[in-house]
Amino acid sequence: MPHPLLLRALSRRRLLIGAGLMALSPLGLSSAALADGPWQRLDAAGDLLRGTTPATEGLALELPHVSEDGSAVPLSVRFDASLAEGDHLAEIHLFATGNPYPEIASFHLSPEAGLPEISTRVRLNESQQVIAIARSHRGETFATARDVRITVSGCLMRGDDQGPEPLANPRVSLPERAAAGEPVEVRTLISHPMETGLREGAGGETLPRHIIERFTVTLNGEAAFTADLHQSVSANPYLRFHLSPTEDAEVVFEWQDDSGESARHEASISVS
Amino acid sequence: MSHNIHRRGVSRRRFLQGIGAASALPLLGGIAPFAIANGSAGRVVVIGGGFGGATAAKYLKRANPAIEVTLVEPAEVFYTCPFSNLFLGGLRDLRSIAHGYDELRDRYGVRVVHSLAEDVDPDGHRVRLANGETLVYDRLVLSPGIDFRWNALEGYDEAAAELAPHAWKAGAQTERLKGQLEAMEDGGTFVMVAPENPFRCPPGPYERASMVAHYFSQHKPNSKVLILDAKDNFSKQGLFTAGWERLYGDRIEWVGLSGDGRVTRVDAENLEVETEFGTRHRADVLNVIPPQKAGFIAERAGVTDDSGWVPVKAETFESRQVRDIHVIGDATVAAPMPKSGFCANNQAKVVAAAIAAELSGRSAPEPYWTNTCYSLIGPEYGISVAGVYRVQEGVIAEVEGSGGLSPADAPDHVRALEAEYAVGWYNAICQDTWGTSV
Repeated sequence: MPHPLLLRALSRRRLLIGAGLMALSPLGLSSAALADGPWQRLDAAGDLLRGTTPATEGLALELPHVSEDGSAVPLSVRFDASLAEGDHLAEIHLFATGNPYPEIASFHLSPEAGLPEISTRVRLNESQQVIAIARSHRGETFATARDVRITVSGCLMRGDDQGPEPLANPRVSLPERAAAGEPVEVRTLISHPMETGLREGAGGETLPRHIIERFTVTLNGEAAFTADLHQSVSANPYLRFHLSPTEDAEVVFEWQDDSGESARHEASISVS
Repeated sequence: MSHNIHRRGVSRRRFLQGIGAASALPLLGGIAPFAIANGSAGRVVVIGGGFGGATAAKYLKRANPAIEVTLVEPAEVFYTCPFSNLFLGGLRDLRSIAHGYDELRDRYGVRVVHSLAEDVDPDGHRVRLANGETLVYDRLVLSPGIDFRWNALEGYDEAAAELAPHAWKAGAQTERLKGQLEAMEDGGTFVMVAPENPFRCPPGPYERASMVAHYFSQHKPNSKVLILDAKDNFSKQGLFTAGWERLYGDRIEWVGLSGDGRVTRVDAENLEVETEFGTRHRADVLNVIPPQKAGFIAERAGVTDDSGWVPVKAETFESRQVRDIHVIGDATVAAPMPKSGFCANNQAKVVAAAIAAELSGRSAPEPYWTNTCYSLIGPEYGISVAGVYRVQEGVIAEVEGSGGLSPADAPDHVRALEAEYAVGWYNAICQDTWGTSV
């Protein structure tokens, strides 16, 4: 319980920030409240925003309000604002502010990554705020945040899970054909414990970190979609994203983990 | 119309006061001025006659017989989801999970209306029924259970449910599934599609798989059970897995999310399903438990949010969105309390106490809730999980150190005792809710 004086000091500070921004912003209180976003308290966000004030429209996070299983919370992030001709959304970064390591994942999108709409499953340690920050190729920034409550349902107690075999069973769902310029949905799944390095084993010893760090998708050898993954991505990483190849393409999917091992899956797509 | 209802309610109240004056008197002491002006202790309409609604109606009357309570439930007989898996396993007949409303009507003076509530006007405090009647309420209790998100799973709509039953509302659907199991030739595969969280009765799919495996072991020894799951973890997983191995060997196979267990398309006519990464499974009997949401009347009343479920205030289960409407049971977001009949029954008592107190000008008492989920893996093999819940910092939280899970390495006689406790639990909660036991 914070000291009452501290509470008062905090609320005065908020009030001042609100008033200050209101004077600057023609949109008034609501945009002031949004500009005072939680990303301002996140160090990593400062590096990404590089002094810019992110737009709070255009980027949307979808998460359940309440999740009964913090080990695999479904998350989708979508960008639907329009950018200047020739610009495209190039990066999306996800953060779990209440996790020991807030970074969840960073996605790098080429123009051939098509529709900027990505789904995955994440670990959330406790009830908290999840943040998404995006940058366009030319440096426009966007941010959004969403609160998630994590509870463990009384009927949902789990058994002992045996860790899955790392990098086993790479699975890809990719249509065989696409229309030029039309984004197609791609889904991938692979077995991996995504061991955080924070967990204790049966003997009380800390289990060493062991995660997939990078996932790459190339179209005819050119990177189209890459994901840097961190400990907050759930075991057996799942990704749903889009590709819009402009010509027939050999598509290579590659997962690399921090022990130097990797898995590959090859497919092809014909474009008409 | 409402005048007519009102008069009938009053005369029943007088009648009850006559026979129960001594016990009712202390409760009548604190009636609020507005209620006296109205000539009753308030009008409460309860929609839904399951574990939540029937309990709410009864406990409102127990708290204060002067409250006019109307229960709206289309069915004259209610079949419980708890123990419907035992019917599938051949351990019970359907009649043994059927309950009616005689006790509520005859002993507690609840007006029971067998009609469908079609709409709610929250501003006018009115409920419109399919039989043309309009009910006026001071407080409304919704215990609407679940509805299915038809077509959220491609190919699974109401017509498909006739071929590949969900049996996730007990009754005709359960009978249909049982009939299909009985008609199946030995050597076939029962495929169950299990949904992602949240859904009604978290351990239910796994108890059902156990009961079907039991039925096969008795009647169709070469048949298999395959569970295709949209989750990687499920309720009491370790206990179920150990029990399956102990009783059924490799008869039951479970494929989780990471093993490509999430079904994305159903072809009910051909009894075939397809998973997210393109694996096709053919079933001899197909049971699809589809994605769910709060029962439709909750949506009509404006109490659901964009998740399709109902956010409630923890202390009173009053809607966070609409005044004077309390919502209980599977329709609510009450996690960490699971969507179980036991929780609905507990929540109903909390709501009844809160409404009775508030209608007589007192504040609602501080609530707590308990839950036990028993599951049968075999006729003499039971497991359970229990929890106690309180409001902490405005949200429902499990009391630390309360409850727990059946031990992982218990001897057979402990499992047999838990199977007996499960029957005791069922009889007790049905007695408490409908006044009937088997």
